[in-house]
Amino acid sequence: MLLSMSLISLALFAQSRKIDGSVLDEKGNPLIGAAVKLKSGKIATLTDINGKFSINVSGNETALLVTYIGYTEQTVPLTGQNSNLQIKLTPSSHSLNDVIVIGYGTARKKDVTGSIVSVSGNTLREVPVANIQQALQGRAAGVEVQAVGTRPGADAQIRIRGERSIQAGNDPLFVLDGIPYSGTLNDINPDDIASVDILKDASATAIYGSRGANGVILITTKRGAAGDTKVTFSDYYGISSVTSKYKVYNADQYRALRDISVFNQGYTADELAGIASGRNTDWQDLVYKNGYITDHNLTISGGSDKSQFSAGGGYFKQTTVLPGQDFTRGTLKATADFNVSSRVKAGFNNLLNYSITHGSQFPANVFPLITLSPLSSPYNADGSINIKPAGNTDDYNTTYSPLLLRSQPNASVDRVRRFHSFSSLYGEVRIIDGLKYRLNAGLDFQQEEGAQFQGTDSYFRPGTYNTATVNNATATKYSLDNLLTYDKTIAQKHRISVTALFGFEQQQSHNTSVRKDSITSDFVQFYNLGLSSTTPAPILSGGESKSSLVAMMLRANYIYDDKYMITLTGRRDGSSRLGEGNKYKSYPAISAGWTISNEKFMQSVPVISNLKLRAGFGITANQGIAAYSTLGGLSSVNSSIPGTPQVLYNYGTTVVNGYYVSRIVDPKLDWEYTKTTNIGLDYGILNNRITGSVEYYTASTTKLLYGISLPPTSGITDPYLTNVGNVTNKGMEFSISSQNITSDHGGFTWGTDLNFYFNRNKLVSLNGSITQVVSNQLFVGQPLSAIYDYKKLGIWQLSEAAEAAKYGFVPGQIKLEDHNGDGKLTVDDKYVIGNAQAKIQGGMTNRFTYKGFDFSFVLYGRLGGTLISQVYQPLAGYTTINDGRRNQVAVDYWTPTNPTNFYPSPNVAGGQISSPLTSDAGSTLGYFDASFLKVRTITFGYSLGKRWAKKIGAQNLRVYVSSQNPFIFFSPYVRAGGIDPEATGIGNQGVQNPGNISSRALTIGVATPSTKSFIAGLNISL
Amino acid sequence: MLLLVTTLLGSSCKKSLEEHPYTAFTTDYYKSADGLQAAVNAVYANMRYDFGPVGALALGNVGTDEFTFGDQVASSGQFLELGTYQIPTTNGAILTPWNRNYNGINLCNAILKFAPGVAMSDATRNVMMAEARYLRAHLYLLLVENFGAVPVDLGSGDLQFTDVPYYGFNRLPFNDILKKDYQAMIADLTYASHNLPVQRPSNAFKLSQAAALHLLSKVYLFRAYSVVKESTDFGSAYTTAMELINNKGKYGADLLQDFGQVHKQGNDYNKEILYSVERLPLNNSANEDLNPSTDFANKVNIANNLFNCLYQNVASVGGVTLIDDRPLQYGRPLRELAPTPYVSNVAFADKFNDSRYDNSFRVMWRVATVRTGVALQTYVSNLASVGFKIGDTAIYLPPTEARAAQLVAAGKKYLIVPPSKWYNNQTKLSFQYPNLKKYDDSLRANFQDVSGRPFIVSKLSEVYLTAAEAAMQAGHPADAATLINVLRTRAAYRPGLSAADLSARVAAMQVSQSQITLDFILDERTRELCGECIRWPDLAIRNKLIDRVKKYNPDGVGHVAVFNNIRPIPQDQINSVVDPNGDPNRNKYQNPGYY
Repeated sequence: MLLSMSLISLALFAQSRKIDGSVLDEKGNPLIGAAVKLKSGKIATLTDINGKFSINVSGNETALLVTYIGYTEQTVPLTGQNSNLQIKLTPSSHSLNDVIVIGYGTARKKDVTGSIVSVSGNTLREVPVANIQQALQGRAAGVEVQAVGTRPGADAQIRIRGERSIQAGNDPLFVLDGIPYSGTLNDINPDDIASVDILKDASATAIYGSRGANGVILITTKRGAAGDTKVTFSDYYGISSVTSKYKVYNADQYRALRDISVFNQGYTADELAGIASGRNTDWQDLVYKNGYITDHNLTISGGSDKSQFSAGGGYFKQTTVLPGQDFTRGTLKATADFNVSSRVKAGFNNLLNYSITHGSQFPANVFPLITLSPLSSPYNADGSINIKPAGNTDDYNTTYSPLLLRSQPNASVDRVRRFHSFSSLYGEVRIIDGLKYRLNAGLDFQQEEGAQFQGTDSYFRPGTYNTATVNNATATKYSLDNLLTYDKTIAQKHRISVTALFGFEQQQSHNTSVRKDSITSDFVQFYNLGLSSTTPAPILSGGESKSSLVAMMLRANYIYDDKYMITLTGRRDGSSRLGEGNKYKSYPAISAGWTISNEKFMQSVPVISNLKLRAGFGITANQGIAAYSTLGGLSSVNSSIPGTPQVLYNYGTTVVNGYYVSRIVDPKLDWEYTKTTNIGLDYGILNNRITGSVEYYTASTTKLLYGISLPPTSGITDPYLTNVGNVTNKGMEFSISSQNITSDHGGFTWGTDLNFYFNRNKLVSLNGSITQVVSNQLFVGQPLSAIYDYKKLGIWQLSEAAEAAKYGFVPGQIKLEDHNGDGKLTVDDKYVIGNAQAKIQGGMTNRFTYKGFDFSFVLYGRLGGTLISQVYQPLAGYTTINDGRRNQVAVDYWTPTNPTNFYPSPNVAGGQISSPLTSDAGSTLGYFDASFLKVRTITFGYSLGKRWAKKIGAQNLRVYVSSQNPFIFFSPYVRAGGIDPEATGIGNQGVQNPGNISSRALTIGVATPSTKSFIAGLNISL
Repeated sequence: MLLLVTTLLGSSCKKSLEEHPYTAFTTDYYKSADGLQAAVNAVYANMRYDFGPVGALALGNVGTDEFTFGDQVASSGQFLELGTYQIPTTNGAILTPWNRNYNGINLCNAILKFAPGVAMSDATRNVMMAEARYLRAHLYLLLVENFGAVPVDLGSGDLQFTDVPYYGFNRLPFNDILKKDYQAMIADLTYASHNLPVQRPSNAFKLSQAAALHLLSKVYLFRAYSVVKESTDFGSAYTTAMELINNKGKYGADLLQDFGQVHKQGNDYNKEILYSVERLPLNNSANEDLNPSTDFANKVNIANNLFNCLYQNVASVGGVTLIDDRPLQYGRPLRELAPTPYVSNVAFADKFNDSRYDNSFRVMWRVATVRTGVALQTYVSNLASVGFKIGDTAIYLPPTEARAAQLVAAGKKYLIVPPSKWYNNQTKLSFQYPNLKKYDDSLRANFQDVSGRPFIVSKLSEVYLTAAEAAMQAGHPADAATLINVLRTRAAYRPGLSAADLSARVAAMQVSQSQITLDFILDERTRELCGECIRWPDLAIRNKLIDRVKKYNPDGVGHVAVFNNIRPIPQDQINSVVDPNGDPNRNKYQNPGYY
C-alpha cells in the first residue's frame, strides 16, 4: 500500500528526491502510524510497523511536519540529509497545538477564544464506572458533578457553572460526534470515548443557541486511524462492598429506647424469646452481600489513507450489595471514514446499545434492614425464613422479611430493558480550496420497556394479590445539518475561518403503560397481562410528544499573526415548542483573544512560554419548555405526576370520565436567556511544563421559566408556567497541570492536575414584588438551593425549663431560634438558614510513573454548604423517629442523664419532639455541613516493556489494580453517623414530605448504601 | 447560497414548527355536549376529596364532643393538632377542602359560562346547570363552615370562570364576603331545587331536587346562626325542609324501618340516602385510587379504617392469639379516631331502647382471619387446642362495669374490656374502644385497602333534624318534638322484636316539646348521625364548639378558644397571595387568633 502510494507520488513529481527515516517516541521506541507530511501540505505518508517512512519531496520543499496523536507536532527542516532521519517526538498532553472540538468543527487550542475544557478519554477511564458522569467528578473546573443515586447504573447530575433555572432544567446539552444527543449517558460506553470537550461560556455555546445556556458537553468517540490493524482489549473485574453499614441500635440499645419510649404495646413473643436468649439480629449483615463490577471491551481499528475503520464491542455489568439491583450493558460500535476522492470524504458512526437494569423502579428495600427489631429471629426453629419478623402489631402483617428477596427472586421482578441505536453519517465536499460543504445526518432510535412484577403474598405484596406493570416507550429523532466552512490564510498573517449552518431536527416520543393486578398465576409475571382475573380493572395510560427545531448559524473567526483573534457567532433558532408568531429567537456572541506571549516584548521573559488573555460575551437560551406548553389547559388525570389516575366517576355502575381545568397557558411563553461574560487567562510556564488557566465569569439569566403556584383560591390547581425573574451566577475557576518531575528514560515522573472553583448563585428577582415563594423554596437574594426552616439551636436542657415553657416546650425537645423575637415559636420563625452551595470545590489527580509502573489517585472535595439528610428527619423516613415502634438509625438522644444537644428525647411530652405549633421542626435535625474530601480512585499499574510485550505478540500490555471510593478523609456528616455525604437522590425521598425540600434539592435518603470496590484489570493492544 | 437554502427551506419549516398534539385539550372542549358532560363528571369526582380521604375525616370528626384522636397518632400530625386545638397554619387536614374545592367551584363557573352556547336540549342543559349550581354551593358550604368568609370572586368577577393568572385573595372585609357566600349558596340551591330531576335514579346518586332541598334548608339554618343572618332564615329553613318531608314520596325519599339498614354495606342506594359521593367496590381505577392499600389522601374513602381500634394480637388464650391478622370485615386498625366518653355515657346513655348505639358501634370482635389453605388449617387446629373456633367471641366491650364483672366471673376466656378501661389519651389503660361501624367494608381485595363504598353525604333523617331545630328556633317547638319523635320511634325498632316490646320501647323513646333544647338536638344529632363527618361544623356553626369540647373532650379542653370556631387559612395560601396594592401585611387575610 505504502509502496503504491510512493509510486504514484514518484510519477507526479519527477524532480523530487526521496527522504526516509524513522519516527520515535520519547523513549526511543518506534511510533507506528505517525503522519509525515510535507509542509506545503501536498503529500503525506505514515510510518510503518518499525516506525520507518519514506517520502518524496520536491526541490523547493523546506520542511516536514510530523504528527502523532498525543505528541507535539514537530517541524523538521530539510537541511540536506535525505536518509535515516531520526525524528523524536515529545508527548504533548498539554500541547497548545492539540485540536479540540468546538462544536460544528474543531480548532487548535491556541486559537480558541471561548471557555472550553477538555478531558481525554484516558483520563476518564482512570475512574472505572458505568457512565462518564462520575468519572468527570472533580476533573474539570466549573463542572460540578454530584451523585444522585447509589443503585447500579444510577445517574449523576452535571451542573456547568451552577444552576440558572428553577424548573426548565439545568442539564447541559450533550453532543455526540457532532449530533445533539438525547439518550441517557448510560447508553455510552466510556471505553468508546476519545475525548470530552466542555463548552462553558456563551461565546463557546452560542452556536447551540436555544440549547446552549447550561453549557455543552461534546463527546467524541474513537475512530479508526490509518495504519496497521490494531486490536485492543481491556478488561476489569472488581468486588464491591458497603462503604459502611447504617449504624443502628443493637439489641440492648433498642430495648433501652423502647422501654422509655411512648410506644407501649409490649414485646412480641418472638422478641421476648430473643431477650431471653440474648439475640442481637443484624439485619444488614444478613442481607448485604458483596457485589461485583466487570467490564470487557474489544476494539479492532485500522485502515489506510483511503479508508479507516473501527469496530468494537463492550460488556459491562455492575451489581450491588442488595438483591435484585444490577445494571448490564452491551455495546457495539462501528465507524468508517472514506476518502472517496481528493475532494470528497464520507463516513459513518453507529453506536448500538442494549442495557438491562434491575431494581430501579421498586422502592429501596433498606428501610426494613434498619427498622426491623434486633430482637426478632430471622429464621424459624426449622431453619426456614421467619416471614413476619416485625416487632410490633402494626407492621406484623405488612412487613415481610427482606430475606425473601434473596430466597424468592421470581416473586419481585423489576426490569428495564433499553435499546438505543445512534447513527450518524457525514459527507464532505471540498468545493474550492478552503471552501467545504458538509452534511451531517443523525438518526436516533430508542426503545425502552419497563416491566415490574410483584407476586402474590410476597415481600412487596404482603397478604395480597399480585400486580404487574409494563411501560413501553419509543423515542425517535433525526437531524440534518448543512455546513459550509471556509478557511483562508491571506498574506501569511491573516487567517479567516467562517462556518455557516442550516439545520433541522425533529423528535417524537410515545409511551403506553399498562398496570394489571391479579395475574392468574405468579409464574406468568408480566409476560401476558391478559392471563388475569377481570377485577381489578387494568389501569392504562400513555403519552405523546413531538417537537422540531430549525437552526441557522454563522460563525466567523479572524486571527492576525497568531496574536489577536476574534470570533463572532450568530444563531437563529425556530422551535415548535413556542407559541405561534413567537417561534424564532436569535443568539449572538462575540469573543476575542490576545496571545501576549507572542508579542515581541515577551520574548525577554523566557520562563513564560504561553500567556493568552480571552474575553467573551454571548446570549444563549435554555430549551426547557415541554412540547405543547402553549396549548391545552384541560386535564383528564388527577395531577401532572406520571402514573396518577385518570379523572373518573361512577353514577351507580356507569363509569364516566371527566376533564377539569388544570392550568392556564401563557401563549407568549419564551425561553430563559442567559447572558454570559467570560474573562480567561491561559498560561504556560517553563516550556509549558506548568500549564493552566484562570477564568472569571458572570452569567445573568432572565425571563426565568417558572410555574407560579397560584393561590388555591384562583381555582387553578397546576402552576402557571410563565417567564419571570432573574438569576445570576458568578464564579472563578482555576486549573493547573504540572509535570512536577519529568524524566527522559523511563525514570521517575510525577504529574499533577489540579482544579478548584466556586460559583455564587443568586435569585435576583421573581415575579413582581414577590420576595419569597416558600412552597417552592425560592427566596430573592438567596441561592436557588436555599433551605428555609427553623434554626435549631440545640435541645432544651433541664436548666432551661422555665424559658422553654414560655415557648410551650419542655426540656428534651428541640430548641429553636425565636427568629422574629416575638416571644412565640411559630412558622413565622422560619428563615433561610443555609443553602447547598459549596464555598469552594475541586479535584486533584496525581500520576506517578517509574519504569513500567504507574500509580495515580484522584481526589474530590467540597467545602461549605448544607446537606439535607432525610435519614435524620424523623418524619421523613421514620428511621430516626425514636418512637420505639421499630429499630432506628442510632442517634445520640437526650435524656435527663444525657444532656446532648444533638437529638431530642424520645419520651417527653408524649413523644412530641417539638411543640404542636412547630410540629414540623423535625426537619431541622437533618441538616449537616456538606464539606468533604474523598479519594475517588487509587490505581496502581504495570506496563510490560515493549520488547517483552512483543514476545507475547502484543504491542502494549498493562495490568492494574484499583480501589474505588476507598476513603472519605473528612466529612462532618460521616462524623455525625452518616454513611456518605454525597446525595442519593433529588427532591423529597421521605415517606412524609417535610414540606421544605424543593424538587431541585439534592438529598440523602434511606437508599442503598454507597459502595467501595476493589478492581483488577488488564489492557492489551495487539 | 446559504440565503437561497434558507429561503427555500424556510417555507416548509414553518409547517414543521406547528404543533399538532394528540393529547392536549383546551377549554373549547367544553363547548361540546360531551365536553360539558365531562366537566360535570369532573365536579362530581371532585366531591370525593371532601368525602372519604383522611383530611376530610379529620376535619369532620376530630376535636369534637364525639371523637378525639386515637393512640396511633398520639405523638404528632394533623389529628393531634386538631384534637388538641393547637393548630398551626401548616396543618395538613385543612388543605383538603382548601386546595381542592376552588378548582371544583371554578369548573362549575366554567360549566355555567359555556352551557348556554352548547347545542343540546334545554332540558338537558338545565339539569347540567342545576348540577353545577348544587355542586358549587356544596363546595362553598364546606369552605364557609370551616374557614368563614371565602372568595366568591376568584379573579374574574363574582362567580365567574377564571382562566387568567390571579394572585389576589378576595375575602375582605370578612362579613361582606360571608354575606355574599351565603347569598350565592342560597341562589344556587334555589335554582337547583327547581331544575334538578325531582328524584334521583334508584341505583345511582345523580343529584336531585331532594338533595338540593336538604342542602338549602341546612344553608338557611347555618346562616341563621351567623353574623350575616336574616330574620327569615329559621323560617325558610323550616319550610324548605318540610317541603321535602311532606312530599317525600314525590321526591323519592323515605325513612327506612330499621336504622341498622341505612348504613349497611350492600344497601348503599336505599331511599333514606339523598346523595352519596359514589365509588365502586374493587374498582381502583374508577375510584381514582391506584394504590388502595397505601393511599390515605387524594380521592380515597378511608373511613372504613380510621375508626378502628387495636383488635389485632390483643386477645389470646393459652398462648394462641385469637385474631392475629386483619380480617376484611374489621378493617385496618388505624386507630386515628376514638369516641369520647360522651358518646357512650351521655348520647347513648340508653343503649337498650335506642337501637342506634348497637347499629353504629362495634363492641364485639369474633375470631376471624384472612388466612387460606394450609395456614388456615393450622390456625383452626391451634384454636381448637384452646377450645376456640372461628366465629367465637374474641373481644368484647360490655356496656357496663357490672356486665364486664359478670362475664369475668363466668370465666369467659375472651378479652373483656370494661368501659372504665376503654382507651383514652389520658389514661391509656387499653387500646380498645367501641368502633364506629357505619363505614365497614368487607368487599375489598386486601385487608389494608381503603373502601370502595359510596360515602353518604345527606340523608332524609337529617332533614327531620334540621326542620326540628328550625321549628324550635322559629318558636314552634311542638313541631320540633313531633319531627324528632319520628326519628326516635324508628330508632326503637329492632328486627325480631315482638309488637309489645316494640311499642314499650317506642313509648320510652318519645320526647316532649319541653325537652327540646339546642343541646338536646345536638345530642340527638349524635345519636342519628354519629361519626358522619359533619359534627365539627355542626358545633362550630352553632357556636357550641367551645362549650361542648370543654364539657366532653378532655384532650381539647386545654387550648380550645373562641377563635377556634373557624380554622386557620393554610399558610401556603397566605404565602402565595400577592396583595394588589403591595401591602406586605398578609396577616389581614388570616383568621384572627392564628397569627
